Amino acid sequence: MDINEFIEKFAEIFEDTDRAEFQADTKFKELDEWSSIMALNVIAMVDDEYDVLLKGDDIRGSETITQLFEIVKSRK
Amino acid sequence: MEINNYGITLRRLTRDKIEIVRNWRNDPKIQRFMEFRDYITPEMQQKWFDRINNDNNYYFIIVFRGKEIGLTNTKDIDYKKGTGEAGLFIYEDEYLNSDISFRSALCMGELFYYDLKLKTSLAHICRDNKRAIQYNKFLGYKIADNQENIYNQLYFQTQEAFEKSAAKIKHLIR
Repeated sequence: MDINEFIEKFAEIFEDTDRAEFQADTKFKELDEWSSIMALNVIAMVDDEYDVLLKGDDIRGSETITQLFEIVKSRK
Repeated sequence: MEINNYGITLRRLTRDKIEIVRNWRNDPKIQRFMEFRDYITPEMQQKWFDRINNDNNYYFIIVFRGKEIGLTNTKDIDYKKGTGEAGLFIYEDEYLNSDISFRSALCMGELFYYDLKLKTSLAHICRDNKRAIQYNKFLGYKIADNQENIYNQLYFQTQEAFEKSAAKIKHLIR
């Protein structure tokens, strides 16, 4: 699994946020566009792309995209 | 009355909890999304509870892992028309913009359509509350006719729309 590919897929979920905002250390819950729907969309993306089921706790417990990536990676 | 499902508990609002709700409701972070934005006094809250403590209004405290984190409701139920109005807010920041609001919506939708046997869920959403509009659309709500020039706009959801959305949500929070 590649972090850059993960960031790319993560960024694709967002419609109104500039791609440059998405970095490994981006605190995704601080993005203006972050919402409960985005939380579900991230779960759906990880399910579809990586066949890993993220839980609400995983998202609550993560601050950065890297932290989410590490959870997904650990379950592959 | 208590609903335990989808990992959360909805506990029917009782008089001993209305001060908590008043404090949440008076907090600017909640107040700014409400149509009624005046400060709510304890007396006003008591009168409000007297008005809503009946079978035409179901207000629940949302409890997650023993912590009271928000409020959800179906209010102004008209059993003849089969309508009622939905509402929800999450007070605790940790649970904002998370799966919890959807877990709550599943519980409330099932209460609304299967237990109370109502037909159309209504919602009023301030037109500048983009997150709430997206959230409600995800749940299958559609804007009613002639809402273009109204600030607090009316949306509606059918049982079919709820079930379609619920299937998607249940898959993701499984």
